[in-house]
Amino acid sequence: MTTADDPYDDEVFAAEYVLHLLDASERQRFETRLRDDAGLRQLVHRWEAQLVPIADEIEEVMPPAHVRTAIMAKIAQTPSSPPFLRRWSIGILGIAVAMLIAVFAFGPLLRGTVDLTPQFQAELTSEDGTIILIAGVIPPTHEIVIERFADVIPEGRVLELWLIAQGSDLPVSLGLLEAEGLTRIRVPDDIAPGVRTGTVAISEEPPGGSPTGMPTGQILATGTFKDI
Amino acid sequence: MTTPADIEKMIAQIALRDHSAFSALYDATSRKLFGVCLHVLNNRSEAEEVLQEIYARIWHKADNYAVTGHSPMTWLITLARNLAIDRLRTRKAPTKDIDTVVDLADDRPGPEAEAIASSERARIEACMDELEAARADAVRRAYLSGETYKELAARHGVPLNTMRTWLRRSLQKLRDCLTR
Repeated sequence: MTTADDPYDDEVFAAEYVLHLLDASERQRFETRLRDDAGLRQLVHRWEAQLVPIADEIEEVMPPAHVRTAIMAKIAQTPSSPPFLRRWSIGILGIAVAMLIAVFAFGPLLRGTVDLTPQFQAELTSEDGTIILIAGVIPPTHEIVIERFADVIPEGRVLELWLIAQGSDLPVSLGLLEAEGLTRIRVPDDIAPGVRTGTVAISEEPPGGSPTGMPTGQILATGTFKDI
Repeated sequence: MTTPADIEKMIAQIALRDHSAFSALYDATSRKLFGVCLHVLNNRSEAEEVLQEIYARIWHKADNYAVTGHSPMTWLITLARNLAIDRLRTRKAPTKDIDTVVDLADDRPGPEAEAIASSERARIEACMDELEAARADAVRRAYLSGETYKELAARHGVPLNTMRTWLRRSLQKLRDCLTR
C-alpha cells in the first residue's frame, strides 16, 4: 500500500493529523477512526515521537509566577484520592465502568478490607530459564511491582515492560523499569482487566523507552501471572 | 539535572494523585512547555492560559501516559503543542508574523530538550536534509508554528493544492527515510 506513488495512505494521513494540517472535518473523521483503530493510533504515536526532536530548537522560557500559583490552586481542589474514585469525574460512562470494576475487582476495598499486597505474580524468565524479574500485581491500585533478579540490561539501554492481552498480538507498553531496585508501575484502568490473563514481556530499549510504541529491541523475557 | 527517568517517575506519581510530584514536574518542565506555547501562539497571555490547560490535562490524564509508549518529554511536548495549536485554530485571524517568532528561537538546547535522545534527533535531521529546502521548511513550520496548508501556500506563493501535494509527497519521503 505504501508506495511513492500513493502519497495519500494512512501513514501520510497520520502525519498530517500530527502536524494539524487536516481541516476541521477531516480531523474529526480521522479522530473517529482513531478511536477504534489501534494500528492507526500506533502510526500517530510513531510520527509524534519521530517529529518531536524538531521542538528541540524551541527555547525555554520561564513562565510568570502567577501561572504556577493558579495551576497549583486548581490542582489543590482535587484531593488525593484512591484511583477508582477518580473515575467519577469522567461522566456517566465512567461511573458505570467504575461500578462494574468496583464490584468485580474492588470487592474487598468496598468492604473496607483493602489488601495492598500483590495478589498474583509472574516470573519472567529468559530463554535459558533464568528468572530475570518477578512482577506482582496489587489489584486495588492497579499497580505492578517489579523486582529484578538478574542483571541483563545492556549498557546504555533501559528495560521496558509490555502487556500482550489474551487473544491479541499487539503489545501495549506498561512503562520503563527503574535502573535499579523495585519498580512500581500503575496500569491504566482500561487495560488493567487484561493483566491477569495476558502475557507480560520485557524488552531492552533506547533510553526513554521505545520510540515507536512497539518493542524495538530484543525481548529478554516473558511470563504470565498466577495467583499467589 | 532532571533525567527522563525522574520525569517518568513524577508522571507515575501524579497518576496516583501526588501533589508534590506534580509541583516537581511543573518546575522541571514548565519552561520548555511554556516555550512551546509561546512559539506557537506568540502571545503571552494566551500562552499562559494554555499552559494552565496543559498542566490541568497532565494532572487528570497522567494515567494515559504509558499507553502512548512515548518517552516522558515526547508525551509532554506533544500534549503542549496539540493544545497550543488547538487554541491557535480557534482564532479568527492570525495576529502575528510568524517570522518574528522563528527568529527569536535559540538553537541552544536546554537541559529538558536533551531528554529527547540525540539519536532520534540525528535521524529526523538527516531525513529532513534529504527533502528540498523549501519543503523541509514547510514541514518545520507546520510542526513548530502550526501553520496551515493555506498559510504555507501563501508563504511559498503556490496554489493551495500544489502545497498540499508537495507536503504529502514530502511526508511520504520522510516516512520512507525514517523507516530505512
